[in-house]
Amino acid sequence: MPPTDLEPARMNRKKGDKGFESPRPYKLTHQVVCINNINFQRKSVVGFVELTIFPTVANLNRIKLNSKQCRIYRVRINDLEAAFIYNDPTLEVCHNESKQRNLNYFSNAYAAAVSAVDPDAGNGELCIKVPSELWKHVDELKVLKIHINFSLDQPKGGLHFVVPNVEGSMAERGAHVFSCGYQNSTRFWFPCVDSYSELCTWKLEFTVDAAMVAVSNGDLVETVYTHDMRKKTFHYMLTIPTAASNISLAIGPFEILVDPYMHEVTHFCLPQLLPLLKHTTSYLHEVFEFYEEILTCRYPYSCFKTVFIDEAYVEVAAYASMSIFSTNLLHSAMIIDETPLTRRCLAQSLAQQFFGCFISRMSWSDEWVLKGISGYIYGLWMKKTFGVNEYRHWIKEELDKIVAYELKTGGVLLHPIFGGGKEKDKYVYYPEVFNKLLSLASTASSQKFQSHMWSQMLVSTYGFLKSISNVSGKDIQPLIKQWVDQSGVVKFYGSFAFNRKRNVLELEIKQDYTSPGTQKYVGPLKVTVQELDGSFNHTLQIEENSLKHDIPCHSKSRRNKKKKIPLMNGEEVDMDLSAMDADSPLLWIRIDPDMSVLRKVEFEQADFMWQYQLRYERDVVAQQESILALEKFPTPASRLALTDILEQEQCFYRVRMSACFCLAKIANSMVSTWTGPPAMKSLFTRMFCCKTCPNIVKTNNFMSFQSYFLQKTMPVAMALLRDVHNLCPKEVLTFILDLIKYNDNRKNKFSDNYYRAEMIDALANSVTPAVSVNNEVRTLDNLNPDVRLILEEITRFLNMEKLLPSYRHTITVSCLRAIRVLQKNGHVPSDPALFKSYAEYGHFVDIRIAALEAVVDYTKVDRSYEELQWLLNMIQNDPVPYVRHKILNMLTKNPPFTKNMESPLCNEALVDQLWKLMNSGTSHDWRLRCGAVDLYFTLFGLSRPSCLPLPELGLVLNLKEKKAVLNPTIIPEVIAGSQEATMNPSSHAQLVGFQNPFSSSQDEEEIDMDTVHDSQAFISHHLNMLERPSTPGLSKYRPASSRPTIIPQHPSGCDGTPSTKPQWNMEFSRKGTGREQSPLEMSMHPAAATPLSVFTKESTSSKHSDHHHHHHHEHKKKKKKHKHKHKHKHKHDSKEKDKEPFTFSSPASGRSIHSPSLSD
Amino acid sequence: MADTAATAGAGSSGTRSGSKQSTNPADNYHLARRRTLQVVVSSLLTEAGFESAEKASVETLTEMLQSYISEIGRSAKSYCEHTARTQPTLSDIVVTLVEMGFNVDTLPAYAKRSQRMVITAPPVTNQPVTPKALTAGQNRPHPPHIPSHFPEFPDPHTYIKTPTYREPVSDYQVLREKAASQRRDVERALTRFMAKTGKTQSLFKDDVSTFPLIAARPFTIPYLTALLPSELEMQQMEETDSSEQDEQTDTENLSLHISTDDSGAEKENASVLQQNPALSGSRNGEENIIDNPYLRPVKKPKIRRKKLRLKHVFNSLSSSSQRLCPWGAAGLRGRTSHGLTLSLLEKNSRYFLSSSSWSLGLNPHFHFIVFFLLLLPKSCLLLLNT
Repeated sequence: MPPTDLEPARMNRKKGDKGFESPRPYKLTHQVVCINNINFQRKSVVGFVELTIFPTVANLNRIKLNSKQCRIYRVRINDLEAAFIYNDPTLEVCHNESKQRNLNYFSNAYAAAVSAVDPDAGNGELCIKVPSELWKHVDELKVLKIHINFSLDQPKGGLHFVVPNVEGSMAERGAHVFSCGYQNSTRFWFPCVDSYSELCTWKLEFTVDAAMVAVSNGDLVETVYTHDMRKKTFHYMLTIPTAASNISLAIGPFEILVDPYMHEVTHFCLPQLLPLLKHTTSYLHEVFEFYEEILTCRYPYSCFKTVFIDEAYVEVAAYASMSIFSTNLLHSAMIIDETPLTRRCLAQSLAQQFFGCFISRMSWSDEWVLKGISGYIYGLWMKKTFGVNEYRHWIKEELDKIVAYELKTGGVLLHPIFGGGKEKDKYVYYPEVFNKLLSLASTASSQKFQSHMWSQMLVSTYGFLKSISNVSGKDIQPLIKQWVDQSGVVKFYGSFAFNRKRNVLELEIKQDYTSPGTQKYVGPLKVTVQELDGSFNHTLQIEENSLKHDIPCHSKSRRNKKKKIPLMNGEEVDMDLSAMDADSPLLWIRIDPDMSVLRKVEFEQADFMWQYQLRYERDVVAQQESILALEKFPTPASRLALTDILEQEQCFYRVRMSACFCLAKIANSMVSTWTGPPAMKSLFTRMFCCKTCPNIVKTNNFMSFQSYFLQKTMPVAMALLRDVHNLCPKEVLTFILDLIKYNDNRKNKFSDNYYRAEMIDALANSVTPAVSVNNEVRTLDNLNPDVRLILEEITRFLNMEKLLPSYRHTITVSCLRAIRVLQKNGHVPSDPALFKSYAEYGHFVDIRIAALEAVVDYTKVDRSYEELQWLLNMIQNDPVPYVRHKILNMLTKNPPFTKNMESPLCNEALVDQLWKLMNSGTSHDWRLRCGAVDLYFTLFGLSRPSCLPLPELGLVLNLKEKKAVLNPTIIPEVIAGSQEATMNPSSHAQLVGFQNPFSSSQDEEEIDMDTVHDSQAFISHHLNMLERPSTPGLSKYRPASSRPTIIPQHPSGCDGTPSTKPQWNMEFSRKGTGREQSPLEMSMHPAAATPLSVFTKESTSSKHSDHHHHHHHEHKKKKKKHKHKHKHKHKHDSKEKDKEPFTFSSPASGRSIHSPSLSD
Repeated sequence: MADTAATAGAGSSGTRSGSKQSTNPADNYHLARRRTLQVVVSSLLTEAGFESAEKASVETLTEMLQSYISEIGRSAKSYCEHTARTQPTLSDIVVTLVEMGFNVDTLPAYAKRSQRMVITAPPVTNQPVTPKALTAGQNRPHPPHIPSHFPEFPDPHTYIKTPTYREPVSDYQVLREKAASQRRDVERALTRFMAKTGKTQSLFKDDVSTFPLIAARPFTIPYLTALLPSELEMQQMEETDSSEQDEQTDTENLSLHISTDDSGAEKENASVLQQNPALSGSRNGEENIIDNPYLRPVKKPKIRRKKLRLKHVFNSLSSSSQRLCPWGAAGLRGRTSHGLTLSLLEKNSRYFLSSSSWSLGLNPHFHFIVFFLLLLPKSCLLLLNT
């Protein structure tokens, strides 16, 4: 998530925080976007934008807009030529001359670069000078119309072209283009104010081939042919004020489907997929109805469009009045597994239409409110559609995810109070925390819909809280304080004793709030105790020092014979109480059963209590918790409880599925005492096989989805069974092979592709490491006979896929995974060639990802430099952004080596390559850049990679500050090391993760947060200089000025005239920048040489952490200000390398060193 | 025409027997056949009431007859080969005749006509050496319509059948077993064949034949194959849609099925995921009143009047012609029309492949011609109109 800046955050945070204060000296009211030429062959776009703005200050003479990778031909303000500078510092974050290779340095520079062009701080890449003729006009605060002609050639981000290489016209080939990107990425395809808080009305025009359709935001007013009748122009009007970041576009030869239930809703898909589209979207109207009902408000836009495109950037992207989906979400009526997933995606995008698109946010720190509200109403939809069980299961899943994430990488801060960072992991929702808040919010937000004030359409954290208290009258401040203003989760350890004399349950609840990602919780906590006489809720007050809580029991310990036991839901059941402790009336205890706290609970209770909980507690979350706990009690009683649950048809299918895996684990632990057939075999036979011939499975009938999921899962779990030799029992393997052999889907209404894929997964699960006799080479002759059978099946399946491909090629995907398992276990020679061929562009994306995963794994296991290079090459060159992102992601998750590991792969060339990738190679995609940073962190850690030669100089002169500072390249390793051990960043927020501990543990460490501000100040300083054409320094600082006024040629179709002030028109050529300067000059003015390194979105994370850090130490900073004087550190001339062998060679030794601030 | 054909039948069998008797090489054989045919032609002429005929005309008629018979033979052969047989059956001949425009129904009546002439046995040049075989049983006499010079029936044991009855395999287990292994064998054979004929990959460097993997081949549009159900699945879907899923042979399956259906949770789940069948029904009625901006016609550009006129005329012309006669419009554009016919052909040939009545079915080429003929006058019409 793009962190943007702190300035607006501060602004918003002023007491009361009433309206929205724009960081810009003007108000944007209307924007026209006109794209009059799209060339699919050349992948280029030509067009213009026209922004209508009202100055809000009298002396407005510079207007800053966002624009990346666009080529700007000409800017006119009220028909007068205007000079402009186009300057994108995020293109290259750190500069060529710098040999710094540590991430701290990088993230500081990136933060500075990003905020230098951050629209929320009033900045932008494009700086336009208001012509002097208009100054008077401006002083009267009259309207300005800024007309910008631009073009885009082979965009690497923002717009994605898909042009299949086949015969025919572009429409026949199914070529299409769509806008994409991570958060606010609109600046990548047209100049705009790329902020979620600057709203305006829109007029959008797209001229496309007559066989194509252009889908965009708002109402399609009309479609008009061009004069030659070969093209047509789509005119869209969006009268609801919308942020530029919510503007989108999709052009292609789409098939059009008007929703049969709601005629304002139109669906689009690529040629030939119409039948799938019909089926897939047939459900959408119910989602609409649901949301409109619970929000008691109509859908805000007058129309809605869904577009399904290939090579999607993300599965679901919501924009104002339209959503862009991956075409791979389409499915036919025969597909079971994909249906709920796709419906979830549809519902999710629709929820974001209300909150996120229609209601936008004020600043980055308010993002969580919108994500939270849309996530919450989406959850309500899920509860209604899939049932309470599914809903609670989902909540539990999300809770576990965030707990695991925060414990691993440190806390996630929703809304920082002090400093000004903001961060939130995109994939995390906090439904439970919002539970109370949001039901009120929906009422509150619906009131907002009627407002005419545009700024009312922006939601901020404070505004949101205010509307909650207005509507409900409740004070939720403590809740906010705990969860929004602080990061981290709560970790409870619970245990209990029963005091028979007092008939009291003595509960002890401890908290761990010292490990990273945790926080202390104070407040109410619900505990539910199931006793013989019923289930009772108790609310405990968790306070600072009290660990013990006495809870009086209601039932006497002597038990009444033959009495039914009432459960929480009023049901009364018979239980076999023989397993119980005779003295205690307690059946089971649950802490925080409603998951109203972000917590991880480790609770100790006896195995029989877990078993009772599993059998009789009706809440699916409790059942899953007990399944998890029972893994530690491999006893016949646990086995029986699990088997009973498996057979229990009333039980939620996901619980039964996880019971399968637990049973497999228990069976393995009990292997020496296990009696009877392998676990689950007789059960499966009874449920799914023919009565007369138990070895033959019935012909498939997937009408009952619950049995279907169970039938799919059981063999997979069974294959995990191991005998005393730690091999998969022969009986189980034969059983699975028979399932495959007798699988018969001819009479089935549904496709069995997922089922067959899981059977292959089961085969793969049964594989155990090969017994290798003195490293013999794997050949066919010494192939294990079981493996031979498995291989036979895989070969046949994989080959059949070529002839009769399955939906989404699920079977190919499973086969590839299974082959990698065989390779890894030494049965088949390890070889990446097969996977590499499947990873090529042109295969279905699921196949590619599976194949790439195998290559990544191979790279790690075989330490192959060649494959690593191959992967890195693909990261840089693959046409599909999603695949590039995934490779980085997989490399981060399964790294070829980590920083504490000796590896032949770790060398200087690799460091340089990765550095280049994140420094300049990924400037067109925030997500990719973050991924590259993650990978760099995983491989080398925060500080200078150990494989690099030692930095030549310990101290460097900072000529700007006129003092010497410790060379930042030799930040002591220990610091980083101590924290890094615990974390392994895995998502976009990772930088947050690693910087957090940093901030918390070392106030005195050398990288002080002043750097951020300094470099920011530094950059803005130079920016100002740049803006003053008369500044003598300009020519010196900017190499570009040495070849002044590179004005791109106007294309013939564009009737532009050369700018009147050429010295203002410059196009930065990145490569040329700085090269011509002397080394000395470079080291002196690195920032200037690099036009404003602009950080951006993905840097969010890193930026956040900085701010976070900042906020933690704000109070300390004042005291220590004198100490933290080291400013931007620059490395000195490399010539002095040999002269100064600095002593900080051992990373460990560096820990205590404080850089002394030497003055010059 | 009918006459010739009838005699042709007789004549051809005559030739065959003649050829058997002939021990001379091809020349002799040829002459004998020719002679027989001439006799046939002459006798037919006599039958038709001619008293004499010129040599040349007899020769011409003989030539025609010979061609006709050859064509029957050739055509019948290809039909029988289409169905993977080597010996033509009666139905092959019938189809051949039908296709050659002959009304088969008239044949039996014609064969039994009263005034027909029976040709005497062709002169036997060489007495065939009758193999001394063990004769068993009484040979069947010729039926009245077969001339006596035709060879005798073979020994009864070569054609008399004694039907034996075996219990048909109805055991569920065996059936499943059989179906499974049969399918597996077919799949294996098919994939092996594909692997043999194309590029392959192998998991073992030293052995490429034991586990041959068909090489991965990138698609230009990968999502189409991944998302669209295969034809087999489509067919299956149609079949299962009509027949109730619940009607399974295995009764236990059925009972289990019902019981699971009753459980509440399952219903909840199922109702969500199951497609609403009412959907398609409700749609049709409303279609004509939908007002959606994407369905509205594209506007003409606002330009000078003259141009507009021309364009307008052209437009309305092409659009109206398209509406009136899609075939014609297609015909106008060469490529499209070609593609069209091709796709039609494809459809037909697919029908052929899938239908079990292949052997009785019609030649795809025939269809092509029919379609072509259908197309032709319409496009001509259109051309005339414009």
